[in-house]
Amino acid sequence: MRYGLMDLGREILGAGRDRTTEDLRPGEFFAVKDANFQVREGECVGMLGPNGAGKSTMLKMINGLIRPNAGCITINGSVGAMIELGTGFNPILSGRENIYINAAVLGLGKLEVDRAMDRIVEFAELSHVIDEPIKTYSSGMKMRLGFSIGANLRPQLLLIDEVLAVGDVAFRMKCFNHLRELVKSGISIILVTHAVSMLNRVATRAIVFGSGNIIHDGDLETGCTVYEETMGASDRVQHAASPQPETTARVVSAEIVDEGGNPYKEFRTGETIRVRVTLTALETVDRMNLFAALFSPVHGRISAVSTAAHDLDFSIPAGGTICVTLTFENIQLLLGAFYFNISLYGPTSLDFYHRASGVGNFRIVGPPVRSDGRGIEGIAKLPCRWTIDKG
Amino acid sequence: MRADVRDGRELAWRLFLRNVRGLYRQTLLGLFWAFLPPVANTAIWIFLREQGVFNIGDLHVNATLYILTGMILWQAFADAIQMPMNVLTKNKNMLSKLRFSRESLLLVGVGEIVFDLLIRTVLLVLAMAWFGVVPSVAVVGAVFSVAMMILLGATLGILLMPIGSLYQDVGRLLSMVVPFWMIVTPIIYPTPTSFPGTMLNWINPASPFLILSRDLLLMGHSSMWVPAIGWAAITIPMALFGLMVFRISIPVLVERMNA
Repeated sequence: MRYGLMDLGREILGAGRDRTTEDLRPGEFFAVKDANFQVREGECVGMLGPNGAGKSTMLKMINGLIRPNAGCITINGSVGAMIELGTGFNPILSGRENIYINAAVLGLGKLEVDRAMDRIVEFAELSHVIDEPIKTYSSGMKMRLGFSIGANLRPQLLLIDEVLAVGDVAFRMKCFNHLRELVKSGISIILVTHAVSMLNRVATRAIVFGSGNIIHDGDLETGCTVYEETMGASDRVQHAASPQPETTARVVSAEIVDEGGNPYKEFRTGETIRVRVTLTALETVDRMNLFAALFSPVHGRISAVSTAAHDLDFSIPAGGTICVTLTFENIQLLLGAFYFNISLYGPTSLDFYHRASGVGNFRIVGPPVRSDGRGIEGIAKLPCRWTIDKG
Repeated sequence: MRADVRDGRELAWRLFLRNVRGLYRQTLLGLFWAFLPPVANTAIWIFLREQGVFNIGDLHVNATLYILTGMILWQAFADAIQMPMNVLTKNKNMLSKLRFSRESLLLVGVGEIVFDLLIRTVLLVLAMAWFGVVPSVAVVGAVFSVAMMILLGATLGILLMPIGSLYQDVGRLLSMVVPFWMIVTPIIYPTPTSFPGTMLNWINPASPFLILSRDLLLMGHSSMWVPAIGWAAITIPMALFGLMVFRISIPVLVERMNA
């Protein structure tokens, strides 16, 4: 608050804080730093990142709510925002009255609303209750009404922040169709969401934020996997920071390699992935069992395999090191980021030696998935076939 | 700034309608609640006067009408001081998320004060008719004086708002200072005619406008034109400066919202 007072004083006196140098005061940090990107006309960009990564701050800067300390934002045309649906709604007033209020907040004039009123009500599917007080609406109905009003915005750049979880599946599809039409008509959209699976319905490019920096700016598929990886990064940091007790045998490292044995991190569905695990022991240990659990930061554990399950019995000599390789041929994982938790056991499950968590991370970066019900989506592509029996 | 005020008029009108409709639809007694604060205050002071707790001297007009008029005018001034901080608090969510004409919020705030004042004026007109007071053409001057009084109150509120939004002490201090300020303003006692009361009336920015408005409404003439015009000459540039402060401070305050 003291900084706020100081900044206010300087701004009012016309001697605003020097915004070109990095003179952070104690306790301050940059919410966004070194972020450079361009959005072209008719492009829809998904902005991804974990909480606190700087997405909303970026959106506020683009929307002109706050000023960047350094750098500039240039926008050719008007900006509209669907950031918090139903902002300004009064629960006592009817849906119709609130349409005028919310539309005015979003920058639409009365004449525009008069012309669009039937369309808004119809889009929200609320014609039967539009003259009832908003307080009688469910939260989904309020969101639908808010989205329908915002859907009438026609700026050159539309900012959308976490508002796509609107109503039921059918309504969500309608929203995506609407956004696709906007993009086709040349409107640019920046869409902030955590719902990665929905993103490819409308976005073609992803910008991923991590701790205030842009860590990916490019194709959507890679962006989604990078985002998933950032989601898992906090877990891995936590594990890495925890003290590792001395044990008789331990996992030294786990590395992902390609078919040629070279370290690699990006694969496509159907390729071969190898996890090369290096183990060591202080004294000779026999009848070891290596357990590898595959995780997705978003979906959790996907699968786990052990050497015991494949009747592979191995030993580690005293002071020696061995490499155990786990091969996934024709891997059927779909787009996403993945990592392993690898545990080393003796002859029984009670003989636990060591666990390396969040290791061997890799990404599946292609082919693209489709979330419009006309392709393959999800976490894995299961072998299957369709048959038609004529009755 | 002028463009933003112009662009914000439609939004201000919508938000004003929202607030007024929302407020009165939630109450059983409706507009009665606008009458209540000045009526209650007047009743208290009249009761104390009747009990002989204090002697307010010769007022030239009926004491009830005199105090009621002063109370209605003071209420508008006190509301104007509190208004900028109230609109900022009520609309924090909108301010931190959406871009719109921020000046529209001030227009809404002023609109609500004027709306309440107009409702109370109905009460005042009834009271004047009851006590047989017929206003003269000088009432036009009273309108100017009331407008300047509201502008002064709103300007002081705007200047306090940036600090008040960072430190709650300002709001608390204001709630203590405003009643005291009311006591030193001649609302429940006659306008002082001798030193130091006359000097206090000149330096208390609320007094010239309030006394001038009341005198013109109830008597048709006043001796407070000179200090009122002097304070108006200070109020108008101060209001422009206040608007500039409001504009400059909002982005800094938004940075700290949701922090």
